[in-house]
Amino acid sequence: MSNSIPEIEDAKMMLCVGTNMTECHPIIAVRVKKAVRKGAKLYVVDPRKIPLTEYADGHLPLKLGSDVALFNAMAKVIIDEGLEDKEYIEERVEGFEELKAHLQPFTLEYAEEISGVPAELIRECAIEYAKAESAGIYYTLGITEHICGVSNVQSLCNLALITGNLGKKSAGVNPLRGQNNIQGAGDCGALPNNYPGFQSVEDPACQEKFEKAWGVPMDPKKGITKIAALDHAVDGRIQAMWICGENTLVTDPDVKHTTKALESLDFLVVQDMFLTDTAKLADVVFPAAAFTEVDGFFTNSDRRVQRIRKAANPPGEAMPDWWIISQVAQRMGTSVDFEYQSSEEVFDELAALSPIYAGLTYDRIEKGDLSWPVPDKDHPGTPILHEGEFLNGKGKLQLLDYVPPSENPDEEYPFYLTTGRRLPTYHSNTMTGRSGGFRILVPNEWLEIHPADSDRLGLADGDWARIKSRRGEVITRVAVTRTSPRGTVFMSFAFPEEVMTNFVTNPEVDPRTETPEFKVAAVSIERVEAPSGLGAEQALRADPEGPGLV
Amino acid sequence: MKSQVEVQDPITDRILDEWLEEPAPFLSILHAIQDHYGYLPEPALRRVSQRMDIPISDLYGTVTFYHFFQLEPKAIPDIRVCENSACCLHDLDQLCEEVAGADLGIEHSGKIEKISCPGRCDVPVPLLIGEKFLHGAKPGAIGEAVEATMPLPPETGQQECLFQHIRDGVSDLKVALEKGAWKSPLLAASDPEKLISELKTSGLTGRGGAGFPTGVKWEVVRNENRGPKWIICNADESEVGCFKDRVLMAHTPHALLEGMTCAGLVTGAEVGIIYLRWEYPEILESLQAAIDEATAAGYLGEDACGSGRPFRILIRRGAGAYICGEETSLLNSLEGKHPFPREKPPFPTTHGLFQQPTIVNNVETFCAVPPIVEHGGQWFSDLGLGEQNGMRIFSVSGDIQRPGNYEVPVGTPLRQLLVEFAGGPLPGREIQGVTMAGVSGGLVGAEDLDVRLDPASLDGLGAMLGAGGIVVHDDTRCMIKAARESMHFLKEESCGKCFPCRIGTTRMTEILDELGSGQPVREGIMEEIEDLEEVLGETSACGLGLAAPYITRMLKKYWPDQIQQKLNGSTQASEGADDE
Amino acid sequence: MMSNENRMTIDGAEVAFQPGETVLEVARRQGAFVPTLCYDERLDPYGSCRLCVVEVEGRRLPASSCTLKAESGMEIRTGSDPIRKMQSTLMEMVLSENPDDECPRCRDIGTCEVHDLAEKLEVGRERFLGAISNASKDDSNPFLLRDYDRCISCYRCVRICDEVEADHAITMTGRGWNKGIATAFDGGLMDSDCTLCGQCIYTCPTGALADKKMVGQGEIPGEVEVTRSVCPYCGTGCSINLHSRDGKMIGVTPVLDGPVNEGALCVKGQFGFDFVNSGDRLTRPLIRKNGELTPVSWDEAFDYTAQKLMSVRADHGPKAFYAIASGRAPGEGSYMLQKFTRAVMNSNQVDNCSRG
Repeated sequence: MSNSIPEIEDAKMMLCVGTNMTECHPIIAVRVKKAVRKGAKLYVVDPRKIPLTEYADGHLPLKLGSDVALFNAMAKVIIDEGLEDKEYIEERVEGFEELKAHLQPFTLEYAEEISGVPAELIRECAIEYAKAESAGIYYTLGITEHICGVSNVQSLCNLALITGNLGKKSAGVNPLRGQNNIQGAGDCGALPNNYPGFQSVEDPACQEKFEKAWGVPMDPKKGITKIAALDHAVDGRIQAMWICGENTLVTDPDVKHTTKALESLDFLVVQDMFLTDTAKLADVVFPAAAFTEVDGFFTNSDRRVQRIRKAANPPGEAMPDWWIISQVAQRMGTSVDFEYQSSEEVFDELAALSPIYAGLTYDRIEKGDLSWPVPDKDHPGTPILHEGEFLNGKGKLQLLDYVPPSENPDEEYPFYLTTGRRLPTYHSNTMTGRSGGFRILVPNEWLEIHPADSDRLGLADGDWARIKSRRGEVITRVAVTRTSPRGTVFMSFAFPEEVMTNFVTNPEVDPRTETPEFKVAAVSIERVEAPSGLGAEQALRADPEGPGLV
Repeated sequence: MKSQVEVQDPITDRILDEWLEEPAPFLSILHAIQDHYGYLPEPALRRVSQRMDIPISDLYGTVTFYHFFQLEPKAIPDIRVCENSACCLHDLDQLCEEVAGADLGIEHSGKIEKISCPGRCDVPVPLLIGEKFLHGAKPGAIGEAVEATMPLPPETGQQECLFQHIRDGVSDLKVALEKGAWKSPLLAASDPEKLISELKTSGLTGRGGAGFPTGVKWEVVRNENRGPKWIICNADESEVGCFKDRVLMAHTPHALLEGMTCAGLVTGAEVGIIYLRWEYPEILESLQAAIDEATAAGYLGEDACGSGRPFRILIRRGAGAYICGEETSLLNSLEGKHPFPREKPPFPTTHGLFQQPTIVNNVETFCAVPPIVEHGGQWFSDLGLGEQNGMRIFSVSGDIQRPGNYEVPVGTPLRQLLVEFAGGPLPGREIQGVTMAGVSGGLVGAEDLDVRLDPASLDGLGAMLGAGGIVVHDDTRCMIKAARESMHFLKEESCGKCFPCRIGTTRMTEILDELGSGQPVREGIMEEIEDLEEVLGETSACGLGLAAPYITRMLKKYWPDQIQQKLNGSTQASEGADDE
Repeated sequence: MMSNENRMTIDGAEVAFQPGETVLEVARRQGAFVPTLCYDERLDPYGSCRLCVVEVEGRRLPASSCTLKAESGMEIRTGSDPIRKMQSTLMEMVLSENPDDECPRCRDIGTCEVHDLAEKLEVGRERFLGAISNASKDDSNPFLLRDYDRCISCYRCVRICDEVEADHAITMTGRGWNKGIATAFDGGLMDSDCTLCGQCIYTCPTGALADKKMVGQGEIPGEVEVTRSVCPYCGTGCSINLHSRDGKMIGVTPVLDGPVNEGALCVKGQFGFDFVNSGDRLTRPLIRKNGELTPVSWDEAFDYTAQKLMSVRADHGPKAFYAIASGRAPGEGSYMLQKFTRAVMNSNQVDNCSRG
C-alpha cells in the first residue's frame, strides 16, 4: 500500500475496486466504514453486489475484466472536465499529453458498452474521485488476478497521478495483501528477481554485496516464477522442490496440471503444520511450529513490520521454519554461516542486508509502529510513500488498452465463473477449517447464482449442479442469490476435499507477473442429482440450513 | 448479510411513496402500516428499513420502545386499563375482573393490559379498546362507562385568559374569528421584535414543566441563521394527572395553531409539527379538521395570514412513551431514532430537529401567545398574584368533588383551588395530601395546603409545580401506596438509558412495595432510600430521574408516622389510612 | 501572565487541554481516578452509567465528565466525598442487577471491568437487592456466549456494533427495567447481520458476553499468560493477545492499542486460533519409505534431505532446485529459504505464494 491503514478513515473519497473488503479484510473495512461515517464518499467497483455496497454512494457493477476500459473512461472524464491536478502533473508526472490523446476513444459510451456500467454512474464516480480533497484507491485480487492484471493496476495509478492523489495523506493506490506475511516474504527476498529489500539479483552491485556477506558467488541470472517452475517440473528441468507452508496443489489453478508437476519431481520437501494434500505427495515432510509457537515477524499490507511472539509450545518435535532450513544447510557442507542461536539473529542479518529494514530491530518493531522504508535506527518509518517525489524521478502515465479476458462465455460454456473468499473460510480452509465452530458457519462449498439464471437452468436453492470448464468439472450445491449479477457465478476454494474449485479455474497468466486469471473462467452449469455415497459427515455438512447467511 | 434480502411489500411501498417526501415522516409511516395491517409485519419493517436507510435492528429496537406499536397480529383488541394515580384510587383488580367479561359495546378479547395514564383522570377509569376510549368505568358500576367526550372546564367565576372563550364554541373557526382569533400573526409578521418583547414583558414561561422564559427561547431561535428551522408543539401530555392540553386542543385549537404560526413567522420557520400523544385519538381528528379549516381560510399555507411567507402545521402521533414528552426524546422520536433523551447542551434552540434551530413549546404555552399579543405582555403579567406573572391551568383529579381543569392566576393558594373552585373533598372526608406536577413534583401534605401555586413557593416546600397536574388523596388513603404508585409510573416510563434512573426507580418501587406490604422490612432500608434519592436526584441524565426523589422525600416529610409504623413491623395501617 | 486559553483546573491543579477534549480525558490524563462503565474510548461519549460524575464549579448538579467538553476556566473536582459516595452507591446498584454467583469471565478470562471497579470502590453485592435484569439467550452460534443475566445495559455492545463495525446487528429493545439486547426480531446471531467478529465481547464490561471458547477452560492448570502478537490471517496485520495456559493456546483477545486495528478483530482473528491445537498437527519429521510417509528422527530427515539435494545439485545443476516460501509463516523462515537457495543451491530459483 502506498499509504497506511489508519489513514483511510480520513479519506474524503474511497474507490474500492475488486475488493470484497468486509469479508476478506474486515478490519480495513472498519476504517472505510468509519470514513463513510465521517462523511466520505464511497464508490465500489465490483461485478458482485458485495456487502460493502451497502455503505456505498455508488456501485459500479462492471463486467469481469473490463477494468481498463472503465478506468480509462474515468480518466478521460476527469481531463475533459478540467478536473486534473495541473500543478502536480507539471511538477511530478510525465506523459500527460500522450495520455490525453490516447484516451480519445475511451468515451463514456464505449466504457458503458464494454463494462455494462451506466455512463452517468461512471461520470459521477470520476468526478467525485477527482474533486475530493484526498481520494484513496483500494484494490485486491479482483484487479490483479487477470491476464491484464498489470494494466488494471496501471489504469488505477493513472487516475491517482492525474489527480495528485499519490504521495499524500489518506489517498494513494493501495493493494490489500491477502495473507498475513505475503509482503514480508517478498521483503525477505523470496522472489526470483530480488534479494531481500527488493535489490535486483541482476544488479552487479547487489550481487557483490551478497557475495561479500555470504562468502559465496551469486547466480547473476534471475530465477523463474513459481508458475513457470511448475511447468519446468513437468518437463523435467526441475527435479527437486522445497515448499514451505503452502498447499500448492489446492491453491493453484488447474489442479490436474499442478498434480502432474509435483508428481514429476524426483524429490519434494514440504514443510508445514499439517499433512496437506501437497504434503501427501512429498518425500520428506518437516513439522513446522505455528505462529503461536515461535518468535519472529510479519509484515502486513501497509509495510508495517510487526513482532510475533512465542506463547505456546509446539506439539511433539515441531520446530521453527528458520531452524529447520538452517539445519539442512549445515549438513550440506556449506561454507556459508548458517549457525543461528535465535530468530532475532536471523532478523538482524536481514536488517543488515536490506536497506528498507536497515533501521529495524526486534525492539523497534515491538508495537508495530514502523512501516518500511526505515533506512536507519532513528528513522520514524514511512507510512506514506512517494511524498514530495518519486524514487525514479517522475511518475510515468501509462497508455493502456483494453484486453478482454482470455476466456469468455460461448455456447458451450455460457457463464463467467469468478472466485474469491468468504468471511469465515480463509483460503483453502487449513486454518479456519481446523478451528472450532467455523464449520457451523460455513458447512460446505456452494455456487452463487442469480435467480434469473437459476430459473433458466431449473435450479433451486440447495440443488446440486455440475460446473464444467475446458479444464475440469466439480459438483457442488447451489445458492440462489442476487449477489452475483446475471451471467456470472461465484465460488470459493475453501473445501478442496469436497469441491476442488481449481479443477475448473483458468491457468492463463498475466505475462508480466505470471499471476493466473483466477477471476475469470467460462463454465457451463447443469443440474444433477445429489451425489450418492457421501460419507455421513459430509452429508451433514452438505445440509446447511441456509448457505450464504454469513 | 441478512438485511440485503430483498423484500416485497407493495402496500408498505405505497405508504412510503406517500410519506417519504414529507417532513419527519417516520412515525406517520409506522402508524399507516399498523393501521393497514393491524400490526407491524416483519416484511413491512424490512422495507421501511431499506428505504429509510435505518438498520433493521435499530428500527426493530425503536419499535419495541413504544407501548402502542405491535409486532404481532391481534384480531380482537384487548382492554387497556389505566393503572396510575387517579385511577388506581379505585379497586382496579375488581374493575379488571368485571370488564373482562362485560359487554362494553365494542368487541374485545377479554384480556386486560395495564397502561400508563392516558390523560383522562377527570373521568376515571378510562378503558381503551382498539382506538376507542370509554370513560368513567368504576368498579361495581361499569355500566356507567360512556363513550369518550371532552368535558369543558368547570367555571371558577373569576377572570380567565386561555379559557376566556372556551365555552363559546371557538373550536369552530367562524366563532373563533368572532372572538378575535388569528390576529396575532399580523404582529409576528410585521414586527417580530415587538412580539418577542411583549412575550418577555408577559413573563410567560414554558408550561410543560421546565419553565424556561418563552420570549428568550423564541429570540434565540430567531437569531440563529441556520435552517430550516422548526416549530414543535409538545402535545405528548403524558404526566400522570395532567389533561390540560387535551382540553385546550379539543376546545380552542385555533389558539394553538395561531400561537405556533406566530412562532413560525417570528423565527422564519416554515413548518410546525404537533407531536400528539397517541392516547388522544379524538383530538387527532378534531385538530386535523381545525388545521384544514385554517389552511382553507389562508391562515396557514403558502401565504400564512397574508404575511407573504409560508407556514404549515402537521400532526405527528406518538406511540405511547412518557419520555417522549422530554423535548430531546421527542426530537429523536420524530427523527425515527431511539427515543432516548439527548445530552444537553446543545439545546434544541440551536440543535433541535435534524440538528437545526427549533422551538419546542407546550400546548398551553403556544395558546397563551394570542391573548398576550392581543392585550399586551403587561396585561398578562398583571394577571398573576403578587410578584407572579400570568395564569396557569391546573388539572385536578382524585378524591375531589369537581375534577377538571382550572385556569387560575399564578400564585393562587392550593387550598383555594381545591376547595373553592374544585369543590373540596368528598363528603365526610378530608384532604390528606396531593401529588404535584402529575407525580414527578412530589407530594404536598394537608398541613401545607395554603402554599401558593407558583414555582418558588412549591420549591420552598421541596416539591415542584411542573406541568400542573394535581391528584388529591383524602384521609382514607395510604400515602405509602400513593408514593409507590407514583414511583411505579416513573419506573415503567424510565427510558432505561441512564443507570441511576433505570435501577433507582426500580429499587425505589420495590422498597415502597416492601414498606407497604405490611411484612417486616429489611434492615437499613431507610438508608437505602436516602442513598438512592441522592444518586437519582444528583446524577440522573434527565428530568425523569432527577424528579423521582421528590416522591420519597415528601413522603418522609409529611407522613413519617405511616413509615414508622411499617418499620416497627406493625401490620396495622395507620389510622384511617387503609387501602380501599 | 499565562493566558487562560485552553486551561482549566482539575482538583486544584491548573492543566492545559486540547479543544474538543472531554473533562474525563483531561482528568484521567492528570491521573485522577474517574470510574466509568459505559465508556470506551473508541465510542462516542454516551453518558449513561453516570459513574464519571464530577463537580463543576458554578453548577448545581454534578456532570458526567465523559460527555462534558473541557472549557477554559472550568473548575472541576473529581473525587470529593459526596462524589465518591454516589459512585459507590451507583456501583452497588449495578451489582444488585446481576446474579450472586461467580462471574465466569472473571474466572476464566480475567477480571471483568465491573468486578474490577467494585473492588476499587470497595463495595460488594449487599444492598439494593431486588429483581435481576434480563435473561440469558440461548444462541446456537459457536462463538459468542450471551448471558444477559449479567448485562448492565451500558449498550457498549450495541454501540461498537454500530459505530465501529457498522454491522448494526444488535439493538437495544424495550425500555426502562424491561430493556434488552436483541437482534432484529430477536432471533439468533447467525440469522442476523452479525459477522461474529466478537467486538462486543471485548467491549462488554461484564460477563454478559463472553468467548465460548474461553469460558469453561478453567480446569487447565496454571496461570493465564498473555502474549502480544499479530493475527495470522489476511494482510491487515491486526494486533492480538495470545492467551495461553501451561504452554497451550486457550484464546485470543484484541490489543486495544494495536496500531492497525485499535482493538477491532474479525471472526477469523478472534475465534480462528485453535487450529494450532488441532489433533492432526505434524509432530515428527516424515520420510517416504516404501511409498509410505514414515516418522523418523530429525537427524535422519536432515541427513536424507541434505544428501538428496546435494545429488540433485550435482547431477542436474543449481536450477533443478526450486523453493517456494510461505506468505503466512514468519519472515525469518522466508529469509532463510532464499538464503539457502542462493547461497547453498546457488540459484535464484525461489518465489513465494503471492502468485496464487
